[in-house]
Amino acid sequence: MSEALLANLLSPAVLFFALGLVAALVRSELKFPEPLYSALTIYLLVAIGFKGGVAMTEAGLGRIWLPALAAIGLGAFIPLWTYPVLRWGGRLAPVDAAAIAAHYGSVSAVTFLAATNYLTAIGRSYESHAVALLAVMESPAILVGVILGKRALGPRGGVPVPLGLIVREALFGRSIFLLLGALVVGALCGPAGMRKVEPFFVTPFQGVLSLFLLEMGIVAGRRLEDLRRVGPFLLAFGVIVPVVNGLLGVLVGQAAGLSLGGGMLLGVLAASASYIAAPAAVRLALPEANPTLSLTSALAVTFPFNLTLGIPLFDAWAGYLYF
Amino acid sequence: MNLHPMKLVTIVCEAYAAEPVLRLLGEVGAAGHTAFPVEGSGARGRRLADIPEYANTQIEVICRPEVAAVLLERLAGELFPRYGMVAYESDVRVLRPGKF
Repeated sequence: MSEALLANLLSPAVLFFALGLVAALVRSELKFPEPLYSALTIYLLVAIGFKGGVAMTEAGLGRIWLPALAAIGLGAFIPLWTYPVLRWGGRLAPVDAAAIAAHYGSVSAVTFLAATNYLTAIGRSYESHAVALLAVMESPAILVGVILGKRALGPRGGVPVPLGLIVREALFGRSIFLLLGALVVGALCGPAGMRKVEPFFVTPFQGVLSLFLLEMGIVAGRRLEDLRRVGPFLLAFGVIVPVVNGLLGVLVGQAAGLSLGGGMLLGVLAASASYIAAPAAVRLALPEANPTLSLTSALAVTFPFNLTLGIPLFDAWAGYLYF
Repeated sequence: MNLHPMKLVTIVCEAYAAEPVLRLLGEVGAAGHTAFPVEGSGARGRRLADIPEYANTQIEVICRPEVAAVLLERLAGELFPRYGMVAYESDVRVLRPGKF
């Protein structure tokens, strides 16, 4: 465990993330131009989606439906148990509790990528089609969280928002559209297509991920000063809840028939909190919620925790469960 | 030079609000707009523009005074409660009033 932990902390991806944090903390001038951020995001989502799609044609849909159902169920369940904890444990306003619960049930693609990176680095195999789990796990929690929030706001339901807009945002936000689209393209191309794009989408992947995490370190670091505004409860929540969800996720993954690496990835997905898709959808559907609370805990607490300690922890737990 | 009075309505809003604002512009009959990403700070703290989804958008539209009045009223009634935004109008003079 300690060896794996050290290997993770000393990986290029995590070290570049740390460098970004430092850059933000010392108020360095270092700044990525916004179009570069967007370009890196598109590259990473397309690369992982395409790879997953190719793997799906090789594995067949029969192998993926049960883990996918498990991921959807897990995503929908997480806001249901975290909402009461936030509401009564944290004494948060109902709409804030629902918003945060939605963020924690939804997933972070970058955390997932970092976990696959970790598995590759330690030489552990995993189902490449597990990226389909990332795709299906993004939306269920958002929808559950929004329903919880709308119920809590009472019969008037707060500011009225057209239901169609919410569903469109939850299901067809930018990231999920790209990821699902690349999955389909990869599935249609199969291994022959993969050979054509491998030098571009596979070989440079780790370098691009490192660069992206440098930017994410800056983004997270610039929000560290908001930590004072979220309070000690959410700080603790941002670490303890991912651990519980991650351990649960590995259990569910094992029960759904995933391999050790795949079960660990489902654990990481369950532990991760969304900071792109969920904020957009929640901002639209529950404008009464305070976005600083959910975004700061997801981005400045849970994301760095998972990246550094969570990933090796869930891997160790998976290793314990599977043997 | 013959200049004609018009109103310039400026809306600075979180990026999530840009789409509903643009829809509203169409509904009140404001023809044309300019939108650009901005960053800054306001009454509710900093708005960092490092990630497009978290950024702010500034939308400017030139329109006739009666359109500006309806636009501001509907912004205040429909979108202010939902999104972080400020909106204000100012007097401008244009060369070709038929365009607006």
